[in-house]
Amino acid sequence: MRRRLPGAVLGVLWILPALVLIVGLILYPVAYAIWLSFFDKHSFFPAERWVGLGNYARIAGDAEFWDSLWKGVVYAAATTGLQLVLGVAAALVLHQAFRGRTAIRALVLFPYMIPTIVAVIVWRWLLNETYGVVDDLLLRFRLVREPIVWLGVDHMMTSLIAVSVWQFTPFVVVSVLARLQTIPLELYEAARVDGASAWARFRHITLPQLRAVLFVVVLLRSIWMFTKFDTVWLWGEGAGAGREIRTLPIYAYMRTFTYYQAGFGAALAVIMFLMLMAATLVYFRLFWGEEEAA
Amino acid sequence: MRRLAWRAFVYAAALGLAAQAVLPLLWMLSTSLKPPREVFATPPTFVPASPTLESFARLLGETAFLTYFRNSVVVAGLTVVLTMAVGALGAYSLTRFAFPGREAVARLILCTYMFAPIMIVIPIYILARRLGIVNTHAALVLSYASFCLPFSLWLLRAFFQSIPLELEEAAHVDGAGRGRALLHIVLPLALPGLIATSIFTFTLAWNDYIFTRILIASDELKTLPVGVQDLFAAAVVDWGLVMAAGMLITIPALAFFMAVQRHLVAGWGTGGLKG
Repeated sequence: MRRRLPGAVLGVLWILPALVLIVGLILYPVAYAIWLSFFDKHSFFPAERWVGLGNYARIAGDAEFWDSLWKGVVYAAATTGLQLVLGVAAALVLHQAFRGRTAIRALVLFPYMIPTIVAVIVWRWLLNETYGVVDDLLLRFRLVREPIVWLGVDHMMTSLIAVSVWQFTPFVVVSVLARLQTIPLELYEAARVDGASAWARFRHITLPQLRAVLFVVVLLRSIWMFTKFDTVWLWGEGAGAGREIRTLPIYAYMRTFTYYQAGFGAALAVIMFLMLMAATLVYFRLFWGEEEAA
Repeated sequence: MRRLAWRAFVYAAALGLAAQAVLPLLWMLSTSLKPPREVFATPPTFVPASPTLESFARLLGETAFLTYFRNSVVVAGLTVVLTMAVGALGAYSLTRFAFPGREAVARLILCTYMFAPIMIVIPIYILARRLGIVNTHAALVLSYASFCLPFSLWLLRAFFQSIPLELEEAAHVDGAGRGRALLHIVLPLALPGLIATSIFTFTLAWNDYIFTRILIASDELKTLPVGVQDLFAAAVVDWGLVMAAGMLITIPALAFFMAVQRHLVAGWGTGGLKG
């Protein structure tokens, strides 16, 4: 028998590569971003100057920051809310028994599996104001008189929200569907014996059972939508994403890579992170119940 | 009667769900097969009147699409290999060895799952410049692997925990080392978990836009999402060409997904694919 290293040493050795990567490329960068936020630093040149809380003071008085924060909150709230409602409804439908269910369950996932760049180019083409098929159908069925300029300043946020909901709702569908399949059928049978209506069964059996999964889904989706970069950035053609859809992540990116203000950009990222932490804490305080702990 | 109406409603709703997911992609297919004149026809034709592969030919012949494609395959492939190797070792350590601080490490790893790319790309860019690895595929692979690791470790850990220890103890009696126990006993039994983890990792690397946008400057090193965005950012958008590119990016992603989709559910319960 070969001589073996003690378990503890080997254990540490085997987790080490993972820890090196996580610490080196996630935790250290986050710490470095916090450090950087106290400096006035150019994104390319090495020169840097300590400004203490200067960047944060500037942010507080920066109208563009408040504007992008508002846009980001609107975007995250609208997309998360719509994904939740549509996702639960779709999951309830796909939970019913019907022919071809397996195939349709797989198809419904497509928008979530395709790369964001594809979702964006497809929808920019569908919504094109001159050659787009959406406006063509709307005109043909006389639902509108003039083609809607979906990518113009008036409708850009609306169309961005629609595309994001299309792209990300499948995540909610699959999460909810997985949970629906584990609800014991006896619960429904008992309710049926008592003469409960379909709505009552949904309200008093299904929803309480879904509570824990919805808790997690809403948390993850709202965090991911609030920090969403690629869909928003590409929807605005990647060229500064237009003022109408300049959410907080876009604004932080632009400060760093368009204006080369790395310190200011880092401070924006830190603020975004602190706001998420605070919101998460409040969320847990408000909605964390016994079920989630299980 | 009410039952019949309900069934009709379920079928209609299911069809509607399938249609909203698939029709936009079919429209992309249709446009990619049209000759340039038909692409801009008003009113648009739904099925191409004279289907042609012209757009695909132009895409492959006149743009750097194939280079972007190769880069994406290399980067996503290496990311999966690195993440799985490091992740499997780490998850084995977290489930099979006792060492001080093990639970704290596991929790720390879960916490790092909360960070969005936008929070780490700014410092990663500056650090990569300092290390001189900006504009290399190595920088991309390392970034993706670290970004995927927290979730991969958690998923694999859950799978490894479900494998009975007795199987390995028997192997130890036969003199097999830890490495062989992992390779020959644990990994084969955890196959669904390995598949779920690699789909998650592959999809993230294949779909990512922001890391490539920031870390890669030269055209010949770009991956698909950034390369295609540049095609699309041209002054006059060649929609046939762009839709052909969209098709060729989507096909591998969807083929991969269809091939392994029944394993996918395994990864979903715990938070699944990030995006």
